[in-house]
Amino acid sequence: MNNQDPTIMSATRHLQILALLLLLGGGAALQLRNMLVPATFGEIGTYRAAALGTNAAHPLTFPSDARCLKCHEDVQEERVESLHTVVRCVHCHGFGAEHITQATAVEVDSSVTIASAQDWDHHFPTKVDLFITYDRATCLACHQATVGMPESFLQINVAEHLEDQGAEDVEDVNVCFECHTGHSPGL
Amino acid sequence: MVEPSDELKISKDRSECDGCDTQCACNATHDLSPPDTNLTTGPEISNDADRRNFLKQATTITLGALSLTVLPWSRDNDDGKNVGGGSATPIVYGFLVDTEKCIGAGKCLTACRVENDVPEGYSRTWVERYIHYKDGRVEVDRVPESGYHAAGLVDIDSELIDRSYFVPKLCNHCEDAPCNQVCPVHASFTSPEGVELIDTDSCIGCAYCVQACPYGVRFVNPNTNSADKCTWCYHRITQNEKPACVEACPVDARVFGRLDDPESELNRRLAKVPHHVLREHLGTHPKLHYIGLSGEVN
Repeated sequence: MNNQDPTIMSATRHLQILALLLLLGGGAALQLRNMLVPATFGEIGTYRAAALGTNAAHPLTFPSDARCLKCHEDVQEERVESLHTVVRCVHCHGFGAEHITQATAVEVDSSVTIASAQDWDHHFPTKVDLFITYDRATCLACHQATVGMPESFLQINVAEHLEDQGAEDVEDVNVCFECHTGHSPGL
Repeated sequence: MVEPSDELKISKDRSECDGCDTQCACNATHDLSPPDTNLTTGPEISNDADRRNFLKQATTITLGALSLTVLPWSRDNDDGKNVGGGSATPIVYGFLVDTEKCIGAGKCLTACRVENDVPEGYSRTWVERYIHYKDGRVEVDRVPESGYHAAGLVDIDSELIDRSYFVPKLCNHCEDAPCNQVCPVHASFTSPEGVELIDTDSCIGCAYCVQACPYGVRFVNPNTNSADKCTWCYHRITQNEKPACVEACPVDARVFGRLDDPESELNRRLAKVPHHVLREHLGTHPKLHYIGLSGEVN
């Protein structure tokens, strides 16, 4: 506006400066925000959408019965009439992650050996991958009468039950299997 | 008061100003002496018409800018819950615990620990036992992970007891989760299916969420240094498997399913009997429902 006298400010100079500052400041803020806000944030909600994938990618460890029965169909036949279909394979045989890996591999490569079942290590949860056990502890984990159990559940007082049933060797760790089988224990 | 005279050219019209060396009130005299404070006449810098115009324009521009920018963004932000089919009902998962069925076997506990690499000393789920004695006392203890038999605990004399029951507990996956509210880095959030999850990469381990949870289901995992809790086995349910604890339970005391599907097993079981949630008065709206919840349980 004022070409002759540089000491005179234009009437809108302050507005121009303000606009420029806002533009630069806004641009800087936007850039800073883009650098600081993580990728995928806000795509679905106020969180990193990639976290859904991270949570979903965790490997599955606990095999459902269906997974075991795919190969062990004979067990399904044994159990079909029994109340014990509700007892999971893993409760008495271990989580079997390696076993399933080997079993899946052998379908492709028949030279892969499937390790045989071990003995139980008497731990809940067990460290043994695959075991077969007749130890009464696996039965009593559910069936020993404990304060808190609903009355409708089939529970026993061990000493009384063994006496009533006339068990031969009351001290034997595998005494339940004198009369019961694991897959269809109902008598 | 100075009256216009022949000597001083005082003009009310700025257009008559021919430039001043200093910013002046443009009275066209180029008089640099201090202005007479009694001077009440003089050109008005602005008048009512200008002021009115300015306000009109400013309001129009502001409202126009708002309607184009801020107001559209303030549409109901449902945190992305409406994902899952566009016009179809969104998937909402829920959980049911039937305390009348639980036998305290502890199978769910070991299943969860193995499935989710839960470190020793911490639990994503646990089972409490409430014992009502005949003398009126109520005692609470925890089911050992191995189950009562393997733990070798001396059992309580049932003669002293009125009633007792087991209460499995896990994350309630609240609709209005306090943990999500307090997280300073948005590491605690709700998935589109209604499952409360933790973004372990963003979590800073401040444990504010651990404090905020009224149910005490959260902890800071010492191995990952991030907050940790039951996720309803999100990695399983997204592949149509059940959570590990639900899979493990031999008596169907834990049920997982869809709350949005009226035909789901979950809803059918909920429809038959009264059911409750924990600490309802806190308004967290848990998606974990209990059958057989007694008043003493908190």
